[in-house]
Amino acid sequence: MISVGIDSGSATTKAVLVIDGRIAANNIRPTGFDFLSAAKNGYEDALTNAGIDKKDVNGIYATGYGRNSIKFADKAVSEITAHTMGVYHLYPAVNGIIDIGGQDSKIISVSDGKVTDFLMNDKCAAGTGKFLEYTAKALEVPIEELGSLALVSKEPASITSMCTVFAESEVISLRARGFKKEDIAAGLIESIARRVAVMVRQVGLKQNVAFVGGVAKNAGIKVFLEKELNISLYVPPEPQITGALGAALYGVSKKVK
Amino acid sequence: MTHFEATCFETLDYIKNSYSARICQLEEEKKAGKKIVGTLCLFVPDEIIFAAGADRVILCGGKNDAVSIAEQYLPRNICPLIKSSFGSIVNNGYSGVKSCSHFGLVDMVVAENTCDSKKKTYELMGDYVPTYVLDLPQKPEGPAAVKYFLEELNKFKGIMEELTGNKVTVEQLKKEIISSNETRKLLHRLYDLRKREYPPISGLDMIKVMQKQYVLSAEDFKEALRTLINEAEQTRADSIAGSKDEFTHRPRIMISGCPMPGGSTKVPEIIENRGGLIVVEESCTGTRSFWDLVDENKDPMTALAERYIKIPCSCMTPNDRRIDNILELAREFKVDGVVNYTLQFCHGYNIERYKVQQALKNAGIPVLSIETDYSDSDVEQIGLRVDAFMEMLS
Repeated sequence: MISVGIDSGSATTKAVLVIDGRIAANNIRPTGFDFLSAAKNGYEDALTNAGIDKKDVNGIYATGYGRNSIKFADKAVSEITAHTMGVYHLYPAVNGIIDIGGQDSKIISVSDGKVTDFLMNDKCAAGTGKFLEYTAKALEVPIEELGSLALVSKEPASITSMCTVFAESEVISLRARGFKKEDIAAGLIESIARRVAVMVRQVGLKQNVAFVGGVAKNAGIKVFLEKELNISLYVPPEPQITGALGAALYGVSKKVK
Repeated sequence: MTHFEATCFETLDYIKNSYSARICQLEEEKKAGKKIVGTLCLFVPDEIIFAAGADRVILCGGKNDAVSIAEQYLPRNICPLIKSSFGSIVNNGYSGVKSCSHFGLVDMVVAENTCDSKKKTYELMGDYVPTYVLDLPQKPEGPAAVKYFLEELNKFKGIMEELTGNKVTVEQLKKEIISSNETRKLLHRLYDLRKREYPPISGLDMIKVMQKQYVLSAEDFKEALRTLINEAEQTRADSIAGSKDEFTHRPRIMISGCPMPGGSTKVPEIIENRGGLIVVEESCTGTRSFWDLVDENKDPMTALAERYIKIPCSCMTPNDRRIDNILELAREFKVDGVVNYTLQFCHGYNIERYKVQQALKNAGIPVLSIETDYSDSDVEQIGLRVDAFMEMLS
């Protein structure tokens, strides 16, 4: 059984090829303006990497923000269900998931691999990858380095604004007041961690929680989030692809084509 | 994903297309000397308005276009319903385009002390149209609340008598109570049909009927309900809106929370287009409007005070009656999940969300909370939540 999952996210598109329940190849690329092209190219690259011919693929399953625009997919499934299936495959003991993506943060409560409850951020970028992107720019630090920079800080600055735009001006004002770069970075990440922690407590996640999505690649966030929640989080080696993996597995479980 | 086929009863078309006809009707009534009263809330008893020989039309705004007009006068962070209503009033007299033709026709608005945003907006509304504010006790339980509300209703009766020049008699009130109860009983019959495994009417259609409840005249609405019930009862339960298969995996949903006045159907559309079937609405455009009858054997004014003060609105404290009601409706209509629908900046219902969620969680009923406004900007985000909720329920 060869199944492909495509997670068409707001920032990046992920494709995962699964053969008999095992990941054979994956591809991550920026989504850009054209959701469909990114999905098509990601899909083809994953096939090439695994040396699989198109005609041997049993099903293609889409998830993510652009899931309904991936016309060549056989079926679409929501990110909530997809991440849950992907994470459950990697960590069967999991009963909670934190997924921070480009424009959404999702908190999912899981029981035996099934979604029992979930919560998403309001229509606002606070506590998402977008927030990091904008504030890193204001700090003039590459987004990849924001986390490691924050970990150096001994005295995180206090960032009180939840609004991305206002947080950006707060950063500028902290810079003007002579705060150290690492302290501002730590303050920003702490503010995300606090925001996400509120949602985690609302859903009632307590242990066996996985942290996935693009933002989970940022080591700094994981550390601050763990401190804020007082638990240790499972982060898969490639946390960005659990949605695509789950979509592929969803197809296998539904045997739909 | 199967797209929901709208049920197609002739009466539904009549109800949905009744807007212009109703405007003409109101214009005729005005010419004949009848007074038209505009209301914005269920707490204002129709029976008293009708007993005074006036007609009434509800003025709650559900359209987005009037919101930006209202924002010239009101703060942005109050709910879209109030902004839409107020914007329609302002737009009616002061610009070329009319947002809502009803507003120009009313001789008086009868408002009510519910949420803070509403009662402060009424102070501004008075500059555009004569506005009378009915005061409500905020703690609804106990005889003191009924006594206070009765006094307020007596004052209101006086206002209606003054407006129309007609005396409101006990006989007339009794007649109107019987008539309004009849409407309520008809709505109960229609809602009973939705308890079936395959309801003959979609939730979206039902919401459109309920939206017209206070736009149509009482007699026309009753007549439309009777025909609609006949049409729906005669339809074979398993042959409605496509094959039985189409219904098989449709999770039964209750919408609970803020009202959905005409123009505001975004969320029910998303729910039914993404596989859900709405079987009951716990809201002012749903059960709250007709669930309790008025006692026909009591002194009419007391009976009205007792019935209306019981409406489980979040402006009341405590509002445990609403929680009990939600759980009861969930059982009666065999719902698989509840969508808790609130309007942005509606503090009452948004704060009450926590209690609703806790009560449903304790009862083992899944709940999805959606906070939104009248704009289309969050259609995709809501769509994702609804998709995930449906997958969770399937």
